[in-house]
Amino acid sequence: MELHQPETIEQALALLAGDPGAMPLAGGATLVAMLNAELIEPSALISLAAIKELRTIETLADGALRLGAMISHADLAMEARLSGGHSVLRQAAAQIAHPSVRNIGTLGGAVAHGDPSSDLPAALVAVDAVIEMAGPAGKRSIAAGEFFEDYLTTALTEGEMVTAVRLPRLPENTAGHYEKFARVHGDYATLSVALILAMKGGECSYVRVALGSAGATPVRVPEAEARLLGSALDGGTVQDAAQLLSEASDPIDDVRGSAEYRLMLVPRLLQRALNAAEACAP
Amino acid sequence: MINITVRINGEERALCVPASRTLLDALRNNLKLTGSKNACNQGVCGACTVLLDGMPVNACLVLAANVAGREIVTIEGLGEGGTLSPMQQAFIDAGAIQCGFCMSGMIVSATAFLAENPQPSRQEIRAALSGNLCRCSGYVRVIDAVILASERMGA
Repeated sequence: MELHQPETIEQALALLAGDPGAMPLAGGATLVAMLNAELIEPSALISLAAIKELRTIETLADGALRLGAMISHADLAMEARLSGGHSVLRQAAAQIAHPSVRNIGTLGGAVAHGDPSSDLPAALVAVDAVIEMAGPAGKRSIAAGEFFEDYLTTALTEGEMVTAVRLPRLPENTAGHYEKFARVHGDYATLSVALILAMKGGECSYVRVALGSAGATPVRVPEAEARLLGSALDGGTVQDAAQLLSEASDPIDDVRGSAEYRLMLVPRLLQRALNAAEACAP
Repeated sequence: MINITVRINGEERALCVPASRTLLDALRNNLKLTGSKNACNQGVCGACTVLLDGMPVNACLVLAANVAGREIVTIEGLGEGGTLSPMQQAFIDAGAIQCGFCMSGMIVSATAFLAENPQPSRQEIRAALSGNLCRCSGYVRVIDAVILASERMGA
């Protein structure tokens, strides 16, 4: 196996295009673990560590925040520009595994891996993030809700890599909350709820909800959000929204909880997330 | 094979490694620094925790060839000239060490954590060390040890 260390995205793409068995290496938190377990045998790794452009964070002219793919989870968890509703990403990043893993793992790596039980995908869907990719046919962008296609399967095609994540500006006065239920600190979520909320005059004026570990991709149900919108978030309405989310969920049975148990958590965690977000909504 | 130079425990070291060799493997097999342990090799147990430019990382998840020019501190580099570091001494004095296998990683993680948060609560210590598993399950005294180190270092 060879290791390449390109310094620009163009060089990385040329190396990827020249070797169908090559894989881009972001932080390594997942890829190196898979190498160690002999689950993958790439002909070459193209390390993205030396590409400075992938580490930038910038505010765009339209107010969107653009996060480079090689930002570590630790840096994401400390990023002050992730404020208001966008703080859901900061909270999710802060709860990924452990400090020693957060210092290695990256935003782009987690996005490209597409694990529905990891923390960032649900948060990215909730903030209507846009995934930016580059490949042999040029650059393209796709909404996070469409990017995650199936379990460990994304919209990335041969020779493409994630370059950045763009967070469109949210309405004023939104609050974000990431509610994670896990067996122990640092474990994958048994179930998680990523929530963006704004209240106006006692009524919900903006809401986005996405569930993690609830199916093959993050689960978002526009009808559930429509139910909450304009309501005072009374118990009955929240139960209705949770019911719609549960119906759209298809969780797995595993050591972290049975599918039945996970479905039972949906209304409870949604209520907790709403309470927390409402408490910090301006 | 890839030739790199890294600073390990304050000393420039030259390494010649295959592309797939992890930092953990290079430390243990190329440099014979066997204090960092290989247990899960999956970034789950924390027994291989080292400091990379001052940050704790799982050495099993980092490729050696990717750390050229960077600064690494292992358990062997925490003390100075044969003297144990305050954290190492606190672990001994608090009776935190049972079989010892997880201890290098625990002590390295705790050292990095205390540098960032010199007077932590027990709950904060639990969170900071959640990535370091002890199969003897001796966590209570590990937390006692970090508190002890914090008191001594603050004094």
